[in-house]
Amino acid sequence: MSSSHHVEKATNVGDPQCFKGEAPPAKFKVGDRVRIRNLPDIFYTRSQMYLREAEATVVKLVYESPPAEDEAWDNTDSPEWFYSLLFKQTDLWPDYPKKFEADTLETELSERWLEAL
Amino acid sequence: MSNSHDHDHKAAPMVDEVSDFEALEVAVRELCIEKGLFTQADHNEWTEYMHTLGPTPAARLVAKAWLDEDYKQLCIDDPVKASLEVGINWITSMPSNFGTPSDYCNPRILVDTPNLKHVVVCTLCSCYPRPILGQSPEWYRTPNYRRRMVRWPRQVLSEFGLQLPEDVEIRVADSNQKTRYVVMPVRPEGTDGWTEDQLSEIVTRDCLIGVAMPRADRKADDKRPVIPAIHPYGH
Repeated sequence: MSSSHHVEKATNVGDPQCFKGEAPPAKFKVGDRVRIRNLPDIFYTRSQMYLREAEATVVKLVYESPPAEDEAWDNTDSPEWFYSLLFKQTDLWPDYPKKFEADTLETELSERWLEAL
Repeated sequence: MSNSHDHDHKAAPMVDEVSDFEALEVAVRELCIEKGLFTQADHNEWTEYMHTLGPTPAARLVAKAWLDEDYKQLCIDDPVKASLEVGINWITSMPSNFGTPSDYCNPRILVDTPNLKHVVVCTLCSCYPRPILGQSPEWYRTPNYRRRMVRWPRQVLSEFGLQLPEDVEIRVADSNQKTRYVVMPVRPEGTDGWTEDQLSEIVTRDCLIGVAMPRADRKADDKRPVIPAIHPYGH
């Protein structure tokens, strides 16, 4: 474990709190409509397959952090903004009953996974 | 009935094989001890500590928020600070001092309303707000719950005995990154004038995950029904 390991940086500060202020300015704001990109992820990801290419609304800018795809390899060099996103269940699942159109799903993705609609 | 029935057989072990992940955990743990990252005594201490955690602080947080609008707002705006008032420090919990072992410290309280019901799942693994809820129940970690809750939430909730009307929006929170969700249910009817202690007793672990709603007539530590064994020991 090198001395630059983020365990030391996070101790008594918190993770993701220890990455605060390290990401470039956020590209999206609350209320923006976005589409989830279908990026390659042959090694590791925490971006669910069922969200790929779905449309969502940004409901909260949650924190700055290295994305899971980097952090899995101990790469903490490029933190980005994470967004809480709201999806309509009827957009995600073709067989979701139309009478429950108000039902939603909320989850978080980092900025690289989003494109503006 | 004859007495030739064999009473000498030993009970079969509960688990007769070790999964790949359990073998991996043991291998990594032993390597860490060999390399001096921590000792076996440290490991024992952390394990015991993890088993002292439970849902009581989160139940207290919800009860306080039901009684105090300012505290409820603090739960929404700054859950780390709100947790301090129920004795939970997300930042300096042992042993890592940045959350509990191998976990993150960005809690979020999902506030239900009469028209909005939250429920928490982690489809990718079993992320769970352990500092304030303790260890997750076994069913929370099963592929069955994880894959079905996102896709058929109404059906899965009804299997838990929770039938929600059509005009209530269900919002499934899929805990996939560094946020750990706790559900704040709506205060049930029949609890007017109750104290914080009384209210915290009806907020069960399942209410905090979102698969149940609190009821005035059901406490977290109520005695469960005792169902007699079909083949009792010593028959």
